[in-house]
Amino acid sequence: MLLAYVLLLEWTRALAATIPGAVVPALLLGGAGLVLAAWGWPAERLGLGTSRLGLRLVGGIALAAVLLLPAAARVSAVPILPGALAIAAVVVSIGEEVAFRGALFAALEDIGGAPVAVSGSTLAWTAAHALSHPAEFLPAVAAAGLLLAMWRLVFRDLVGPIVAHAIADTAL
Amino acid sequence: MLAAIAYIIAAWSVAPGFYDGFSPPQPYNFVCPPPQAGANSQPSSGHLNIKIINGSSDPNSGFTDDGQLVIGFLPGAFDVTGKSSVNVTITPVTPCPNPNGLRFVTNTYLITADAPLVKKSNLVMRYSNVSQDPSYIYRAKSLDGPWTRLDVQQQAQLWTTSTQTDQLGYFAAGFPSSAISTASSSNQEILPIIIAVLIVAVLLAGIPLAVLRRRPARAGGRRDAEEDEDE
Repeated sequence: MLLAYVLLLEWTRALAATIPGAVVPALLLGGAGLVLAAWGWPAERLGLGTSRLGLRLVGGIALAAVLLLPAAARVSAVPILPGALAIAAVVVSIGEEVAFRGALFAALEDIGGAPVAVSGSTLAWTAAHALSHPAEFLPAVAAAGLLLAMWRLVFRDLVGPIVAHAIADTAL
Repeated sequence: MLAAIAYIIAAWSVAPGFYDGFSPPQPYNFVCPPPQAGANSQPSSGHLNIKIINGSSDPNSGFTDDGQLVIGFLPGAFDVTGKSSVNVTITPVTPCPNPNGLRFVTNTYLITADAPLVKKSNLVMRYSNVSQDPSYIYRAKSLDGPWTRLDVQQQAQLWTTSTQTDQLGYFAAGFPSSAISTASSSNQEILPIIIAVLIVAVLLAGIPLAVLRRRPARAGGRRDAEEDEDE
């Protein structure tokens, strides 16, 4: 049920974003809807505890550096995200992390443990981007999902992935 | 660490790398790809046959197969005297023109028709997300120029620019060369700093890892529960 909700929301958002002028509303509403996927889950089960918060934030910045490294190393004219999209990109980043690496990860872990949580959340994340991303981008999307899921598993932390995802989205 | 390496390899294969939150464009197909473009396919051409109905050309749109250029024709856009149909051809130009004082960020396309254009047509050109945004679309009757600057319309979609034209010929999007010198040099100055900062940040990733690794795993219970106890 959770998986279906998240996927339908992401696909709807991707389709809505193709309408001229609807990109920002689609991102904002989609991001908010994704956050709702975590309704009823304790913050700690989502990886949102406040212990070691400083380390989590530093870790998030480091994780963002990894996400941005390929782009930073090759680009000579930095693509600039239009200002109106920046806030929306942050909102959808939070929503996606809470939904995929938060609620969905926790639910899958309850079902089949860590392997199911990592592989399942990565597959769902990749499938969710199938409509919004050209096929050439999907391996990179999947690899990013795997990296974020491994962080979530190893450190039991979602703050780092949220920070990294938000930085990566706004930087690109 | 393996996941990070796998990601960097995967993201390196698509320019400029990981995208999320909004739809990235299809990679732009360059005739002459810039170094930062990554893997590149050659751009497509396009062809359109416009019917003549009641002595007037039908409204229709011509586009390249990769969608990088679209031109829309209004009803009666062509002088169809003596014609039964109008053929429009769109071809990416090789080699890439490099006119003095201009910098093109898109391919140059030649749009031809076998009838004269008599009404303004709407031209939409896509450009690459790894290039600087173009300020204008330029048009010329010959590759030797002169290139006429066409004002662009408000951007309807990301990574596209559009204008209206009352003539066919050569088209490319870009900007005056003088407009980029400052930006590109500042980017070149900033780039090593960005990379150095990123490398330091990557190294910092080891700190939380080392701290957490030193914590002895507690027996029994979920690790989430351990976190609760820490708090």
